[in-house]
Amino acid sequence: MKKLTILWTIFLFPLVVCASKDTTLIKKGEYLSKIADCFACHTADKGEPYGGGVPFITPFGNVYSTNISSDKKAGIGSYTYEEFYDALHKGIGKHGNLYPAMPFTSFYLITDEDTKALYAYMMSIKPVSQKNRDNEISFPFNIRAGLKTWNLVNLSNEKFVPEEDKSEKYNRGNYLINSLGHCGECHTPRNSMMAMDKKRKLEGNLIVGYVAPSLQSVELRRQEWTLKDLVSVMKNGYSRRGTVLGHMTPIIYHSLSNVSHEDLEAMASYLLDSDEEVETKALTFNGHDKKDPGYLLYTGYCTSCHGINGEGIPNTTPALAGNATLNTKKPLNTMLTIIYGIKNERYSQTNAFGHMPSYNFTDEEMTNLINYLQKTFTNIGIKHSLEEIQAFKEEVIKGMENAEH
Amino acid sequence: MPKLTMTINNKQIEPMEISEEIMMIEYLHEYLNLTGTKFGCGQGECSACEIIVDHKDGTSESVKTCINSALTFQGKKIRTIEGHAKKNAKGYAVKLNPVQEAFAKQFSFQCGWCTPGFTNRATLLLEELEKNPIKKEDLRTHISEHLNSHLCRCTGYVKYFKALEDLILSKKGLTL
Ligand code: FES
Ligand code: FES
Repeated sequence: MKKLTILWTIFLFPLVVCASKDTTLIKKGEYLSKIADCFACHTADKGEPYGGGVPFITPFGNVYSTNISSDKKAGIGSYTYEEFYDALHKGIGKHGNLYPAMPFTSFYLITDEDTKALYAYMMSIKPVSQKNRDNEISFPFNIRAGLKTWNLVNLSNEKFVPEEDKSEKYNRGNYLINSLGHCGECHTPRNSMMAMDKKRKLEGNLIVGYVAPSLQSVELRRQEWTLKDLVSVMKNGYSRRGTVLGHMTPIIYHSLSNVSHEDLEAMASYLLDSDEEVETKALTFNGHDKKDPGYLLYTGYCTSCHGINGEGIPNTTPALAGNATLNTKKPLNTMLTIIYGIKNERYSQTNAFGHMPSYNFTDEEMTNLINYLQKTFTNIGIKHSLEEIQAFKEEVIKGMENAEH
Repeated sequence: MPKLTMTINNKQIEPMEISEEIMMIEYLHEYLNLTGTKFGCGQGECSACEIIVDHKDGTSESVKTCINSALTFQGKKIRTIEGHAKKNAKGYAVKLNPVQEAFAKQFSFQCGWCTPGFTNRATLLLEELEKNPIKKEDLRTHISEHLNSHLCRCTGYVKYFKALEDLILSKKGLTL
């Protein structure tokens, strides 16, 4: 009997070790996939998980994300590790080059170790047979051979190299923001070839109707973000400096709210370029100027939710005092929320925000209101002319119209 | 600060000094004793607090009173739930307006908190159809779109919907 037990142990032990190693790798891959937010781009509204079919609106037509479940026919179940690696790092799928809607211009920095974990996870998820949709790209951009040339010019094959003079925390943040997190894909302006403009990294960008704001440390510091505020906005969608908006809402829900506190801190530390907490400043409220024509507009339409002194209501309405969305030279996102309103945002049972109605202000009213909000709740020191506001409004409306078509 | 005045249910309101922080619903309740307009969410989500504003160009709209200050109604002509029924000389309601009657007959509401908002919006719909009748087959979608922003926590909307649909179909000239 004793012999039998020994024999069983000899046979089973490697199996158990193997299985637990696999589970650890799959778990790690699952976590990394959350940071990369694979689910959001590869799961259509009411579609199967990872079944693809999410439309990406580009100036050349619609590109649809593909099925990346482990289904051997419809998904990527038949991909070898090398093929998976190439798709992620080089934008080369089994059936040809991928459109850069797939952020391989960021994913090329993902380490081998992490790619292995991602592969293990993707191969472990439920196969779904949802068929891929044909892209609706106009000629000549529908010829995939052109993507090879695009890749030659715009895709680097360098590995991620930590900055020597920076801390481990900063470099972890640097890695997460620029590789898996692929933040630059929205927050970096694009050049004439529609590739990320490396000279203007994280400078902010207008994308499908919204401004993906600047994430550069100089601007974040000017807006008085702290490490704690940045962690909070990434984790919960809100912070003392305001809430996220539009396309960032599902990213918080599916991705960032699942990232560990430690990793979020690392990301914040990279963004603010500081290992230590930066000085916390009081939220800006410069007092009301009752003679300003914007005053009655503010008290007329904003105060019941945002508070008479811009203090907001916790978990319902963000504060306007010290709000970073307001604190920009070109307040396009503020105008967008006024013109189109915001839908309810629900992240969890205990973390949700009410909607904001849309307002049909005249251009003159809009100018007075925007100037009043910026004068009262920020220290930006700008006064916009009617013509400037009209031009901003046109930009916002055009952006939204393009986003809808 | 100019004194606030407006016309409510065809009555000119005495001009009065009022703080810019007072929301319209508070003004109706606390200054004019018009308590029929109901405060629901207070965030512009449920439409319980809506009243009718009649513009000079002949158009009318349903406007929320919880998130707009009293001063934003300066000089306007408005109708509230208290203005719909016919009154006798003593000021008592003697006849409901057709929408109120239809809602009451169909037991459209339970607690009634959302009813003033529904009534105002539905009254506007009737007036709009009198001017621009629509095809019968479009009516259901039209009603849904019209009542879409109104929330009711008790009834499940079916009876509001039915009462309004029956009422519109029973009146000549509202549908084609
Ligand atoms: S109370 Fe005004 S919309 Fe709900
Ligand atoms: S009847 Fe109670 S909320 Fe509608």
